[in-house]
Amino acid sequence: MNDDRPAATQADLPAIRERWVGVEFDVATFEMEPGRMVAWATACGDTDPRFIDPTHPDFQAYPNFTSHCTTHRVLPDEFPKIGPGFGIDGGKTVDCLGPIRAGDVLTGAATIADIYDKTGRSGTMVFIVQRMTYHNQRGEHVSTVDWKMIRQL
Amino acid sequence: MILDLHTHSVKSDDGRAKVENYCKWIQKKQLPLDGFVLTEHRQFDADSDYRELEDRYGLVILKASEVETEYGHVLIYGVNDDLVNSFDFADVTNPLPMVLEAADRCGAFAAPCHPGRKNVGLFAHYLTKGAVDGVHTVEVLNGGSIPGEDELSVTRAAEFGYRGFGGSDSHIVSRIGYCATEFDDDIEDVDGLLNALRGGSFRPISLRGLADDRENGDQP
Amino acid sequence: MTSPEPTSSDPASSGYGVTFDQIELGDELPVEHPDVSLERVKLWCDAADQHFPRFLDHEAARAEGLPGALVPGIMNQGFLLALLHRWAPSATVRKIDTVFRGQMVIETELTITGAVTDTDEDERTVEVDLTVVGPDGRTGVIGTAILAFE
Repeated sequence: MNDDRPAATQADLPAIRERWVGVEFDVATFEMEPGRMVAWATACGDTDPRFIDPTHPDFQAYPNFTSHCTTHRVLPDEFPKIGPGFGIDGGKTVDCLGPIRAGDVLTGAATIADIYDKTGRSGTMVFIVQRMTYHNQRGEHVSTVDWKMIRQL
Repeated sequence: MILDLHTHSVKSDDGRAKVENYCKWIQKKQLPLDGFVLTEHRQFDADSDYRELEDRYGLVILKASEVETEYGHVLIYGVNDDLVNSFDFADVTNPLPMVLEAADRCGAFAAPCHPGRKNVGLFAHYLTKGAVDGVHTVEVLNGGSIPGEDELSVTRAAEFGYRGFGGSDSHIVSRIGYCATEFDDDIEDVDGLLNALRGGSFRPISLRGLADDRENGDQP
Repeated sequence: MTSPEPTSSDPASSGYGVTFDQIELGDELPVEHPDVSLERVKLWCDAADQHFPRFLDHEAARAEGLPGALVPGIMNQGFLLALLHRWAPSATVRKIDTVFRGQMVIETELTITGAVTDTDEDERTVEVDLTVVGPDGRTGVIGTAILAFE
């Protein structure tokens, strides 16, 4: 989707932070498919049957499997344009709070947890931290993922 | 006396090291460090008190800051209330001359770090904007440098007549002590560090082989 | 470029298959070289439903200004998790926290390392430093993990 709005500048960041940090902006559901769970663990080179054998009594999703379960909107529709494109992935923090089983249906809620800027080898960067919290169909909080999106100013 | 003058803890946004775990690691690995300085990004951590850890582990643990300027990143030792109130530590576009002047005026000691690094190093900016008066000391050995960066730092520092020191720039525990600074004087506190830095009796050292066999890092 | 098969029958010599009582602060985890072949990365992209050309096509990645097709950051995190599972199969990963600092290119030799930085006898947990390093010695990922033992 083209975004013709003018890009935010460094001077806009305090107001953007004030407006958006703490805002929950999207919710989605994700069904845990055993085929994808196995493929993920296998691709990462794991051989532990807990993660690659659906018949194992403790079969569960890989600890960072929820990292790809993002809501349709990466940022709120009204969120200011910061830098070109989607930016790059600056890191992931995953809290593994309980096992995620095949067939579970997770509800993930997206919140903007932090916004800050810093300089690095590649220039001035804005870090937007998106926090996803995941609850299973029994209401149990099973995972939290903090995703640091880096946008270039 | 050997101090690692450039470390980050979990107080920095990209730091993943707990301060006590640094102490345990130094002790367990028998690193020849007598202490380290926490240089958190874009802030001064006025609240943390590490005196109990200093006593328990027999290490000097001091606090400083790494701020960002239009000429790259700068370490500031001896941060005090006057300096914190002089400029915005969180601003990533602080003018370097202003930072140097404020540090001098408030009794602190400012020195650009990883000056051979692209974009966030002093010498890259010298090429396009010219040299800045007031720089006297730079970090010539940095544990996060990629091949060529420290070599450039050493060469250019010599050309400009700057004194050089070393720091690991560690963000995780196991990388503390990759680079450090050897002082002729004993240092027990921030005032002692400031006196030693001003006196100039110190030299950068690399401890990579001792600290860890692994290669160095690529800090952004 | 494959991870070594664990030899948990002899943890003292292999470094794999350790139990909580065998772990000490300062221990180094076995060094591994994960499989970052195009085939393996494609398998991950299929599982994650992330079919971005920057992960799967060198030319497309270079056109974006990248040095080549990149190993996805989350996949790098997965390699570290696989190392942890081989090293301590009886443990459960409670948290993994990784900072993606540099670009790691597929079909190159990456090196992953770990080191124990803390142990908690009461909680039966250990904290581990983790890195992914590229063939030129640049670190692409740093991080930490907390593992809990029964």
